Amino acid sequence: MSPRDAAPVGRETFVRARVERGGFALDVELRTEARVAVLFGPSGSGKTTLFEVLLGLHAGSRPTVRLAGRWLDDPERRLSTRVEARGLGWVPQEPMLFPHLDVAGNLRFGGPRAGSGGARALADAIEVLELGPLLARRVDQLSGGERSRVALGRALASGPQALLLDEPLASLDLALRARVLPYLLRVRDHLDLPIFYITHDPDEAQLVGEWVAVLDRGRVVACGEPRAVLWSRAVLPLSESLGLENVIEARVTACADGAARVATPSGVELSVPAPAPLAEGEPVRLGLPARDVLLAAEAPGRISARNVLAARVVAVEPAEGGALVHVDAGLPLVARLTHEAVRALELAPGRPVYCVIKAHSLRRLA
Amino acid sequence: MNEGALAGMLALTSRVAAVATLLALPPAVALGYVLARHRFRGRALVQALVALPMVLPPVAVGLGLLWLFGRRGPLGALLEALGIEVIFTWYAAVLAAALVGFPLFARACEQAFAAVDARYERVARSLGASPIRAFTRITLPLAGRGILYGALLAFARGLGEFGATAIVAGIIPGRTETLALGIWSRIQMGDDAGARALCAASFALALGAMLVAELWLRREPPATAHAARP
Repeated sequence: MSPRDAAPVGRETFVRARVERGGFALDVELRTEARVAVLFGPSGSGKTTLFEVLLGLHAGSRPTVRLAGRWLDDPERRLSTRVEARGLGWVPQEPMLFPHLDVAGNLRFGGPRAGSGGARALADAIEVLELGPLLARRVDQLSGGERSRVALGRALASGPQALLLDEPLASLDLALRARVLPYLLRVRDHLDLPIFYITHDPDEAQLVGEWVAVLDRGRVVACGEPRAVLWSRAVLPLSESLGLENVIEARVTACADGAARVATPSGVELSVPAPAPLAEGEPVRLGLPARDVLLAAEAPGRISARNVLAARVVAVEPAEGGALVHVDAGLPLVARLTHEAVRALELAPGRPVYCVIKAHSLRRLA
Repeated sequence: MNEGALAGMLALTSRVAAVATLLALPPAVALGYVLARHRFRGRALVQALVALPMVLPPVAVGLGLLWLFGRRGPLGALLEALGIEVIFTWYAAVLAAALVGFPLFARACEQAFAAVDARYERVARSLGASPIRAFTRITLPLAGRGILYGALLAFARGLGEFGATAIVAGIIPGRTETLALGIWSRIQMGDDAGARALCAASFALALGAMLVAELWLRREPPATAHAARP
C-alpha cells in the first residue's frame, strides 16, 4: 500500500529513503504519529544523514518524506520541496551561529519566513529560552550553553512547522547539559511543535521522546515507546553500550542536610543527594544504573541505603552475564542481577520483592 | 618632468587599476565560489586556465588582447560597430590590468569561500533563505574580507602592469601612459632622473596598497573567529 492511501492522520510522519555516500548506505522506512520522535543510535548509524533527508539535502536520491502531516517529497507525484520551503527549524549538532551577526541578528534571520507570526515566534523563543539578556551580545561572547540556546531560539523564531534537533546536548559537558536540558523540555512542553530529536544518549531518548526509532548501520532496527524499545532484548546490547539506565522523573518535596526528598507522579518517594539546595516543587530527572538496584526477598532491617521500595517482579529477561529483572515499584525499574541471584531469590513474574537503592546511586540528569 | 604630469600619471594609473579591479570583481567572485563549492569534472583544467594570465609572458597576453580587440578581431569589430574603440585607449590598459590581475583575484575569492563552512549556507536555507539570500546575507559577508584582500592584490598587480599594457594601450603621454609605461619611456629617452622619480611614486603607491591589504584585511578571518572559545 502506498503511504498516501493510509488514513490521513494529522501528524503522521512517513519517511522512506535510500542514500548512498562513500561506503555508507542509509536505507530506512519509518512511520510515526508521535509529536516528539527520537532517532537513537551510535555515531555513524545514519541519524544525521536521515535528518539531511528530512531537510531536503538529498533530493537527488528521491526520498519520500511526509513530515508531521505535511507532504514534502513524493517521487510518485514528482513532489520535491526545496530546502528553504520546508518550514523546518533545524538545530545542527554544532550551533553554527552566524558569526558576523549578533544574537538578535541570528534570531531574526528566519523572521521573513515566519511572516506575520514572526514577532510572536521571536518573542516566544526569547521568553522560553530566556534569551533577553543575550540579545546584544556578539556570538563569540557566548558560552557553550548560551550558544546552544541561541541556536534553538533561531530555529524557533523562524516559525517552523517542526523542529529538528541534532544531538543538542552532545557538545556540552555534563554540568552544562543539566542546564540546557530543562530548556529543551520547556520547548517540548510549552510549544505545540512536532519535534525530531537525534541522540546517542539513552537517558535523553527516554526522557525526551514519546517514540524512538533505533538506527544501526544505516537501518532502523526497532521503533516504538522509548522505554520498551531501549530495554528490549534486541536493542539492549546497543543501548547498554551507550549507557542505558533507569530514568526517573520526579518533583522535590523537601530538602535539608544535603539530601532531598522527591516524589514521582505515581507517588513514590525517594531520597537523593542534593549538594546544592533544591526548591520545593522543582522538577528533577534522575538516572539510576540497573546494576545499582538491589533486590531483597524480605524487607531489610536497619540499612544505610535510603530507598527501600516494595515492588513486584514483572519479567525476568536473560541478558549478557545474567538477567534483567523488570519490577513495578510504583514506577517501572530494571535491576541487573546474576543468574545466581535470580535463582537464590526465586525471582519470577508476580513475586513480591524490595528494591534497595542508595541515595547516591541516583544521579541528577537535569 | 613637471608635477602636473606626475600627478596625471598617478591618477591614470590608480584609475586604470581601480576600474580593472571592479571589472574583474564579478567574474572572480563567481568563479571563486564555484571552484570552492563544487567538485566537477574538468575543475583542475579550469583552475589551470584561470592561472594562465599570471604565468604567461605579459607580452603574449597583450598580443592576445590585441588580436581579440583589434579592428579585425572578433570583439574589436563588434565594439567598433558600436562606436567604441579600445586599442590604444585607456580602456585597453584597463583590460590588460584586469586580465593579469584576475588569477590572483579569483584564487583569493576561492580561498575566501572555501574558508566559510558550507553548513552556514545550509542552516540559512533551512531557515527559509533562498540560495541568493543565503549567499548575499551569509556567505558573502563571511568571505568579504578575503574577497577584499583579493581585490587589493588585483589592484596592486594592476598598478604595475607593463607588458600587456604596452602592447594594447601604447605609450601615449596623458592618455595611456601609466607609471610603469612612463618609467620605460623615460629610460628610452635617457631621462634617468624622471625614471627614478616615477619609480619612487610607483614604490609608494604599491607599498600603500599592500600595506592596506596586509594590515587591515588579513587581521582576523571572521569565518573562523567563532571557534576561538569552547
